[in-house]
Amino acid sequence: MKRLVSTLLVVVLFTLSFAVVKVGITQIVDHPALNRIYDGVVDVLKSSGVEVQIEHQSAQGVFQNAIAIAKKFKIDADIIVAIATPSAQAAATEIKDKPVVFSAVTDPISAGLIPKFGKNPGNVVGISDMVPVETHVNLIKTIFPDAKNLAVLYNPGEANSVFIAQETKKYGSQVGLNVIEITGTSANELVTALHANANRIDVAYLSTDNLVASSAEILGQVFEKLGIPVVAGDVDIARKTAVLGFGFDYYRAGVETGQIVLDIINGKSPSEIESRIVSADALTFYINLDRAEKLKITIPKEFLEIADEVVGG
Amino acid sequence: MDLIGIIEQGLIASLAAIGVFISFRVIDLPDLTPDGSYVLGGAVSISLMYVGVPWILCLVFGGLLAGFFGVLTAIIHNKLGVNSLLASILIMTMLYSINIRVMNGPNISVPKETAPMEEARYTEKTKLDDLLGIKSSTSISEVDTTKQTKKTLSPFREKSGYNSTILISLIVLISVFSTIIFLRTEFGIALRGYGGNKEGIKNLGINPELMSIVGLFLGNFYAGLAGSLFSMYGGFADVNMGQGIVVTSLAAVILGEIIFGRFHLFYNMMCPVIGAVVYQILLALAMRYGYTIGFQSSDMKLVTSLFIIIVIGLRRVEVRKWLNLKTSE
Repeated sequence: MKRLVSTLLVVVLFTLSFAVVKVGITQIVDHPALNRIYDGVVDVLKSSGVEVQIEHQSAQGVFQNAIAIAKKFKIDADIIVAIATPSAQAAATEIKDKPVVFSAVTDPISAGLIPKFGKNPGNVVGISDMVPVETHVNLIKTIFPDAKNLAVLYNPGEANSVFIAQETKKYGSQVGLNVIEITGTSANELVTALHANANRIDVAYLSTDNLVASSAEILGQVFEKLGIPVVAGDVDIARKTAVLGFGFDYYRAGVETGQIVLDIINGKSPSEIESRIVSADALTFYINLDRAEKLKITIPKEFLEIADEVVGG
Repeated sequence: MDLIGIIEQGLIASLAAIGVFISFRVIDLPDLTPDGSYVLGGAVSISLMYVGVPWILCLVFGGLLAGFFGVLTAIIHNKLGVNSLLASILIMTMLYSINIRVMNGPNISVPKETAPMEEARYTEKTKLDDLLGIKSSTSISEVDTTKQTKKTLSPFREKSGYNSTILISLIVLISVFSTIIFLRTEFGIALRGYGGNKEGIKNLGINPELMSIVGLFLGNFYAGLAGSLFSMYGGFADVNMGQGIVVTSLAAVILGEIIFGRFHLFYNMMCPVIGAVVYQILLALAMRYGYTIGFQSSDMKLVTSLFIIIVIGLRRVEVRKWLNLKTSE
């Protein structure tokens, strides 16, 4: 009997000392931007030298699956990373005793994840992908001083985009821009809405909307045909459509999320870590001089000097 | 695996399956409205929680409103002579817009004990701000807490005093038994008769239009109830959460029919419930072990559809003969 107990003890100790931390990553849907976040998180964890086991589950856009995934990770993961609002809401509701790190949630406060940015009691912490809308609106006003009507394109079915559109309206009215909402739930609807309103749009603003991101190619062609300049809040969208772009790379958001996970693995508790927005030095300023020339827009020198990526010229 | 949690989720899904069972099996009128009315149930009940309506009434209202849209589908089907599938697709599409109106946005979370304390803002200074002359606004806009009214908290939160498993089981049990009792009344028998022969029941002096209205009301009432319960359970409602509800519910109903067979009303009513729970367990197993054999979560929809096709196929005599299986005839 004694021998059995001691053998068991040795086995338990052995497994404990070699136990790897299991990180469960739950994501609502496969999408280029969200996958970039996943890459960022994985790269940070892999390069840190800490031994981790990573399991990636996508709910494929089915919300019931998001909850089923959360339930699964509740049992068999040590740390949960939740990418995008619905997955984060499911994980935060389901899991109360393990750290939940959210990412790519624009407004975690309305989503009910945390009561405020900064340190919060509880097990939920993370990174918001809020973009600096105020800066964007002012940038538009500075480069296009004669513009009166600003179009904002988004999918009304995405919580993040609706929030950004509201912000755009708020800051737009502050600088005297009339904001026109161009909405659609498919690429087809967006293009139709754009054509329907084309003659009253002076400048268009594209932000981090998933639908806009996936239909950026066709939107770029339409904007070029209509001769409407575009300012984008996301660099990937900017490359396909815009004269100016100022936004962050989702990979960087993933890296910052991964660092929070690493902090937790190294012994910090989620309540000791600040929830925040992706840091400002992750923002990339993109200028496309070819498009600017076609539309006869002059970009002031001081802006060109601080640009991170200039195309053409 | 957290078997209890999986069963709870299966039981919630079983309410939607009961709804689909009523429209597809009892009255035999294919209806896709639940893809929208499921969301409506969740949207309505969580919106009502913010006004302080007791959660049980939120559930009921969510179901009733969803049922109302089932009635609309039936009216379009009857009065305009539109195929019930097309009528339901129209109503389902309409509900997308309505749901966003109800929630005042595409996503809404259940009221929390700790209310939001500030609004999300980008407060960090960016490198463009100096050029644009934006003053660094580090001031955080706080939410006006004086206006906040009394809100209903979810019965599924921790320390609510309710046991979630018992609560869900109770709601499902009440639903199943009240439906069985209803289907046994004279009116219920007429409803089943309508499912059997839509023209024939006219000879018995029964108005078939009324039957389709009541049937689709019930079908969507349960879909809405499932949506309400799921939103409270999951902590949020989202405009896209109804996608594929009809298909997965139908899969659950068919799964239940394999287990129970189709003979007695009581057993028939157990089909959607047992089917939904078994479906959820299969889903969890696929997630748990499928990962190790190279199964992706995105394959789930393929497997679900193939599964339904195979099961329906196996019922057909020709297919069984071709496969050299024993036929019941």
